[in-house]
Amino acid sequence: MMEDEDVTGLLRSRRYDGAFGLLLDRYQEKVFRLAFSMLKEAGRAEEVTQDIFLKVWEALPSYDGRAAPSTWLYTIARNACLSAVRRESYRRTVPLEGCGERPGRETLSPRAEIKQLLERLPRVQREVITLFYLEDKSVQDVAQMLDLPQGTVKSHLHRARRALADMMRS
Amino acid sequence: MDCQDAQEKLLESFDGALSPDDSRQLKSHLAACPNCVEFGELLKALDLQLKESIMAPRLSPGFRAALKARIDRQPRGLWTHWLPDVAYLAASAAAILWCVVLLPFPASAVLWIGALITAVSYSFQALLFSSLGEL
Repeated sequence: MMEDEDVTGLLRSRRYDGAFGLLLDRYQEKVFRLAFSMLKEAGRAEEVTQDIFLKVWEALPSYDGRAAPSTWLYTIARNACLSAVRRESYRRTVPLEGCGERPGRETLSPRAEIKQLLERLPRVQREVITLFYLEDKSVQDVAQMLDLPQGTVKSHLHRARRALADMMRS
Repeated sequence: MDCQDAQEKLLESFDGALSPDDSRQLKSHLAACPNCVEFGELLKALDLQLKESIMAPRLSPGFRAALKARIDRQPRGLWTHWLPDVAYLAASAAAILWCVVLLPFPASAVLWIGALITAVSYSFQALLFSSLGEL
């Protein structure tokens, strides 16, 4: 049975307000966490979440029912987040002074240290492991949100953990 | 089970429960391998640190209001969504009027029959559209 059948039913009868309300209730926090895992900053993630739901609102009439509403929504969300990440990377400026300097390891709290280690992971591993912990360790949810097979999610998690463990040891 | 397999199983154990067989084999390997025990402890510490460091943020309380304000500023474009229905009903009305003018029957009878055919055909196409959507 397809999930969100009530949403699909409302969309089929062109009751967009109702369908949009249900999508917001069910997915706004998840989409926000997905945006946060990719953008790494809560304020920016919230702005992008708004952009995503605005796009969803505009695109509701063109939803063709081929994919589940959640799959369709996450596709819009991922594309919007990727665009935002690209924009951020163009906009970001690197200060010339102190470039490449890292604070001494002894000055960092364990939380800051782990965040710094996460930054050193490849983007996809960082996103997968961040989302895994944000989503209460659900491989299934992470796979659905990132449109990856569960086996691929697990493999990214293993590589990320191994790399982090190596960094902690060194 | 060698060290490589044991470390894979240790990594797997953080994504979900291991099968009883894997769990038993891992336990027996760990009983004799301090290196893998150390790797397991490191993974446990890492898991705890990640859990504590990666906190789920919450949307601000004003999120919905701000989104609604942005949606309200958008042109809704409802006309586009309803255009097929409006076109269908307008064409039916035009056909009925033509029939009233051309057919040698009382106008009220033609109007009633035209309205009935329009209602039945509209319901039929709506039903058909809905069934196709479910496929």
